[in-house]
Amino acid sequence: MKKIFLLCSLLLMTGYLVMAQTNLITGTVVSSEDRSELPGVFVTVKGTTLGTITGPDGSYSIQVPANARTLVYSFVGFVTQEQEISGRNRIDVVLQQDLFNVDEVVVVAYGTAQRRDVAGAISTVKGGEIAKMNMQSFDQALAGKAAGVSITLPNGVLNNPPVIRIRGFNSITSSSNPLVVVDGVPVFTGNIGGTAIQNSLADINPSDIESMEILKDASATALYGSRAANGVIIITTKHGSGARTKVTYDGFAGWTEPYRLFDLMNAEQYIEHKNLAFSNAGLSTVLHQVNINGVPVDTDWADFVYQKGFQQSHALTVSGSSPSTSYFLSIGYTDQDGMVKKNFYNRKNTRMNVDHKINQYLSIGANIAYTNGYTESPNTGSSFATAGAARLAFVLPPIIGPYLEDGSYNLYGSGIGGMGTGLAAGLGYHNPAQIMDTNKHTTESDRLLATLSATLVPVKGLMLKTVYGMDNLARETTTFWSPIGGDGYGYGGYAYNWTGKDKRWTWTNTANYNMTFIEKLNIGLLAGLEYQRTVSKSWDATKTAVSDPFFETFAGAWSTAYGVPDGDYGENFYASYFGRINTNWDKKYYLEGSFRRDGFSGLSMNNKWGNFGGVSFMWNISNESFIANSSLSNLFSDIRLKLSYGRVGNMFGIGNYSSLFLYSASLYADQPTLYFSQAGNADLKWETSDKYDVGLSFGLLKDRLQADLNYFYNDVNNLILNVPQSPSKGIPGNSIPANVGSMFNKGFEFSLTSYNITKTNFNWTTSFNFTALKNEVTALAPGVDEIRTATASLETTNITVVGQPVGMLLAVETRGVDPATGQRIFVNAAGKEVLYNHAATNKWTYRSDGSVAPAVNTSNDAVPWASPLPKFYGGIDNNLDFKGFDVALNLTYAFGFYVYSGSKAGTRDQRWWNNSVEVYETAWKKPGDITNIPKPVMNDNVSNGSAFPITENIEKGDYLKVRNISAGYTFKNILQGNLRIESLRVYAQVFNAFVFTNYSGSDPEVSTNTDSNLAPGIDRNTAPQARTYTFGVNVSF
Amino acid sequence: MKNILKASIILLLILLTTGCTKDEWMNPAPITSLSDLTVFDTKERIENQVNGMYASLKSGQHLGGRFLIYNDVRCDNFLPKSSNLVTCFATWNHTVISSTNEVQNLWGAVYATINVVNVFLDGLTAAWDEGKITDFVTQAEYNQYKSEALTIRAMCYFDLMQMYSKPYNIGSGANRGVPLRLTPNKSAEGNDLAPSTVAEVYDQILKDLNDAEGMAISNYGSTPLNITRVHKNTIIAYKTRVYLHMQNWPSVITESAKIVPAAAPFTASSGVPNTLDASYADIFVSPNTTMESILSMPHTASSNPGTQNNLAHYYQSGSDEAYYLVTGPGSLYDAMDDTDARKVMMSNVDGNVYLTKYVDRASRTDYSPVIRWAEVLLNRAEALVRSGNTVTQGAVDLLNAVRTRSLATGAYTLADFSSAAQFYTAILQERNMEFLGEGIRNMDLMRLGLTIPAKTSSIFGTVAAIPSSAQSYFWPVPDSELSYNGLMTP
Repeated sequence: MKKIFLLCSLLLMTGYLVMAQTNLITGTVVSSEDRSELPGVFVTVKGTTLGTITGPDGSYSIQVPANARTLVYSFVGFVTQEQEISGRNRIDVVLQQDLFNVDEVVVVAYGTAQRRDVAGAISTVKGGEIAKMNMQSFDQALAGKAAGVSITLPNGVLNNPPVIRIRGFNSITSSSNPLVVVDGVPVFTGNIGGTAIQNSLADINPSDIESMEILKDASATALYGSRAANGVIIITTKHGSGARTKVTYDGFAGWTEPYRLFDLMNAEQYIEHKNLAFSNAGLSTVLHQVNINGVPVDTDWADFVYQKGFQQSHALTVSGSSPSTSYFLSIGYTDQDGMVKKNFYNRKNTRMNVDHKINQYLSIGANIAYTNGYTESPNTGSSFATAGAARLAFVLPPIIGPYLEDGSYNLYGSGIGGMGTGLAAGLGYHNPAQIMDTNKHTTESDRLLATLSATLVPVKGLMLKTVYGMDNLARETTTFWSPIGGDGYGYGGYAYNWTGKDKRWTWTNTANYNMTFIEKLNIGLLAGLEYQRTVSKSWDATKTAVSDPFFETFAGAWSTAYGVPDGDYGENFYASYFGRINTNWDKKYYLEGSFRRDGFSGLSMNNKWGNFGGVSFMWNISNESFIANSSLSNLFSDIRLKLSYGRVGNMFGIGNYSSLFLYSASLYADQPTLYFSQAGNADLKWETSDKYDVGLSFGLLKDRLQADLNYFYNDVNNLILNVPQSPSKGIPGNSIPANVGSMFNKGFEFSLTSYNITKTNFNWTTSFNFTALKNEVTALAPGVDEIRTATASLETTNITVVGQPVGMLLAVETRGVDPATGQRIFVNAAGKEVLYNHAATNKWTYRSDGSVAPAVNTSNDAVPWASPLPKFYGGIDNNLDFKGFDVALNLTYAFGFYVYSGSKAGTRDQRWWNNSVEVYETAWKKPGDITNIPKPVMNDNVSNGSAFPITENIEKGDYLKVRNISAGYTFKNILQGNLRIESLRVYAQVFNAFVFTNYSGSDPEVSTNTDSNLAPGIDRNTAPQARTYTFGVNVSF
Repeated sequence: MKNILKASIILLLILLTTGCTKDEWMNPAPITSLSDLTVFDTKERIENQVNGMYASLKSGQHLGGRFLIYNDVRCDNFLPKSSNLVTCFATWNHTVISSTNEVQNLWGAVYATINVVNVFLDGLTAAWDEGKITDFVTQAEYNQYKSEALTIRAMCYFDLMQMYSKPYNIGSGANRGVPLRLTPNKSAEGNDLAPSTVAEVYDQILKDLNDAEGMAISNYGSTPLNITRVHKNTIIAYKTRVYLHMQNWPSVITESAKIVPAAAPFTASSGVPNTLDASYADIFVSPNTTMESILSMPHTASSNPGTQNNLAHYYQSGSDEAYYLVTGPGSLYDAMDDTDARKVMMSNVDGNVYLTKYVDRASRTDYSPVIRWAEVLLNRAEALVRSGNTVTQGAVDLLNAVRTRSLATGAYTLADFSSAAQFYTAILQERNMEFLGEGIRNMDLMRLGLTIPAKTSSIFGTVAAIPSSAQSYFWPVPDSELSYNGLMTP
């Protein structure tokens, strides 16, 4: 008995001792992304089953045995972290968000999947990364974020839709823009404004976005069938989670300004230079400086075009969930002035995402967003408009000013006056001060983007889902031109209103079934159907001759209804049936096949339906026992080999009625008319892309290093070309669309994410991506060996020929300036050097013997000179987190491409146009001068490339751009109680901080012709890019 | 549980099998255009198609504006305010090349009209022959539509010859003409077609006009229609122009004799009573409906040639891109009597003299004249003299009829002309004054093989004279035609 007591005592003692030997450890777990507390994180003692879960505020407490060495923190979507206890009682942890977490769920076509189970090439970009960039639209911020995805901002005009290319240009005359699907519904994309540009994707508030998936290869996109050829961007908006109501506020303010403007001559330089040019031309005109109110005129016209534009943005979200219902509510307000004067963008947006579980079988959801966007802009003037603000900034002479002595505008007719300087009385170009003050272009959009869904899970593994989505876009664009000068002068004032409505509904029904056979065979089935109908209608009208200058809107009083009020109507309909089967054996061998049959109303009777599909195979080598059970598994945490093939389509080039032969009605004076207006093509069908992809994904050192390698080959056939017809046939538009062309894109993508440092207080992540791409056109229309494309129908700048990339830059070769005569050396079609002397009667002479040569021109002598498509491009992101500090650095780069600088031709033009200081300093002056700027001869528009493009103005565009730098500091748990601020981050950021390039224009990332496939790489009088500084806060309560 | 499973399987089947593919969604008919299958269904649609041919003819690129402008600014009377290439600067200084917009656009616009005509003629003939329209279209109407179509086609080919080929007088029509497209083009077939010779094209023009004459209406019974649509006198008048270009003087005389009476007041002896209007200015003033206008292209605020295409944009002083008159010694302006009604239509603004025939730059409603009665009289006068190389009283009377309308004191007498050559000079000068800004000047120089004189601008320097031997005497064939028509020659 005594022994028993003793034993008991010992046991108790032991118990006591055991108890005495546990330690209580407390702490908080937060996210690295925004320092928000993470509820539900598993905290376990390594090597045991002891564990706990963090509470709603991210805090935890755990009793650990004295001998416990390490705590493990794990949470879905975050990198699992281990902490040595080392005697500590409080351990606070920052969990690194895991962009490439192996268990991460990714959104795929009509569903979701575990990233490791996906064979298709899909890049994911988290919403947080985009929201941080403070752009007007998410697509602008995608640059450099994903391998294979190229984003080009055409210029720094506010809210300009970027040119998005996923794995290159995949079409010639159709669109190469990807399909964008928001919460399951394909939405309207592109510019929805007129002169006041507005990106329709800006209607989606970047801070509402949870994630974006970019589907690149056919296996990933095949379920989108006829619209998948250019890749698909799937946007998923945020949903509420967590019992505690979470409130966040994101706000920023800052300013934007142009950078790398041309260095132009001042008045003194201008007068000296142009007088020399007049004298070289044998003209007696002499320019001289004039005074306004006693001050000599020396105008920097950029001052009247550009500004420092201030901007602010506010976004408030409230989210949370109960066991059956989750909600996410957001409102946002953005107000931005651009770097171009009178360029202004305002957005008000609201969103409500609600999900409710009715019972264990049935749940419903709704995502409803309403956005009002408003843009004002002057004519920002890419290409040749005489009202184009960007062009006026460098074309107008410094010796004239915007105002006369009495303070009135300097006007002569519609344009600016010569002010008695010796220049012509009127210059024909508009006075930027006047048009900025008095003229106005606006775009306003109201957009309702809504999806309603119901999901039924009758038995485990089977999910039936119906989704009804609508995208209703109403918009109005207006133009007002004052009668006092500029474009409205000839009309006595001009007002134009355009109002349109685009309505689309999409109804998608899917059935999804997942099952496991004989233990290791997993099968997933998807079947679905989808209908989509789009109706677009618009009307517009013009009034001229304003009755009183007081009126500045269409609704005012005007004398003349100008032209016939016009309108348009179009509709189209898709019907689609699709299915997918995916299987895997023991998570080692994956086989997937998908199929879609699409019908599209725009095609002719016999060609309405098309079949698309893809197959993929994946081998997860790391799950093989020879890896998993060997020491190799310490090195390789993941190795997967992927193969895929698919055939998808591009229908963006097919109009609603392209197959029909149509007559249009108009007027012959007051008589109605009817005329043959469209030669249709009854054989028109989709463009088809056969896409092949070989990929290797691997994770090294416990996924500390994650890499994806892909080789892709995209064979595009049945390209729709507007096959040019002999103009003498008189076919309307001189072309007939037909499926005749072909091209391929092949390339290599590499992306790498490295978690360089993952310490509690110090995290450093580097992401790098690289794409090498080769595009080649392999066939054009029969009898058509080239397609020449003009910029603004005035300057033929690009040519597409078989055997070369699409849209080659076309120019006449020049070989500098003849040192003896100061004349530009052109090379004609015969390879002979020809000199040009604007002052001579016989302007063109052979350099060899001075004999008269035929005039050189684009049509006869220009050659496809260089490709504007980058050979290599990509991005590098670095994110550092040190204690509360965070720093992010985003770089983008592109190499191996050329840009045609038409703006350079303009700033060297020897008409009265102002020239760059380079011209003043380095133009040829005397025999023997070695220079690339010829002897200035007044009115010479040939020698420097204004009359037609010359290779002198084609430059390498290679660049490395510091797209974004941000630095922030996060305060935790300020205040307590109801006002408790969970985290407060303050930051500063510079967008477009630096560009490293040898390109002489403002920025090699430029596109005067916006998203034209046939005429990329043109910089013609385009506004520069904008540099934006912002300061902001992210607060969560 | 079982019920739910059953229900959902049924639901799934329903969803997968019942489409909402309404046929009208999958096969929508456009509601803003008509299908080619229905355009001969009613008389109104046929009438509208006839108007459609005229509307195409009056494109701002062609007779609505630019064709007239090209034919004036490339000659010696005008100087540009602006060097804007869009507003014909290259035409003015003879630097157009095969890729210049003017060269491409005119060719395209004229051939577009030719195809509209060919498509219409083909459709109309087929519908008639198949008896589809005989219920609501009379034989006379059928003939009239065809005559209008053929005349429009003839005018189109004539204008092409004017700009893109050597004039008939050089090489007697043996030079390269243009491709003769006489059948409708609606498909991708048939890009290649060799150019016909100048003479072959002229033969076709005359064939079309002769065919049209036999079928034409002689009077619409409506002044606006008589001025804006083709009637018998239009065709005859136009033939005098064509024969004048061919230097076929007897035919000019024969044709003009059909409508020009032997003695004053020279009012048309048949068909529409075309005559010289008492007031020169009234011809160009709204409503532009004097009996002098045999054919004009009507413009309204709703149906006009466009901003940089309308005549007022090129001649009205307020336009930044206007052309003003050469005024120095030796100029036409200098030679004109200040009281001449035609000089009264010129005004000095800020030191430059502008033509004031076309003034409505805001709404662009000035009509573009195509052919006027004055031209028929002068064509006949010139042919009467050239046919015998002798000045006749009849010819002098015709010249005087036009001249004294504007300058009462300016009548010539037979004695004023000691040689036929003097008469030629006088009538050429008269035509220059009379038709300034109407696109006639260049036609007159070229049909006679005369050098296009030099001109000097204080801003843009001197533009050298262009002799008939120069390549730039006429325009090159556009690039696009050379590229896509394998049989076309430069």
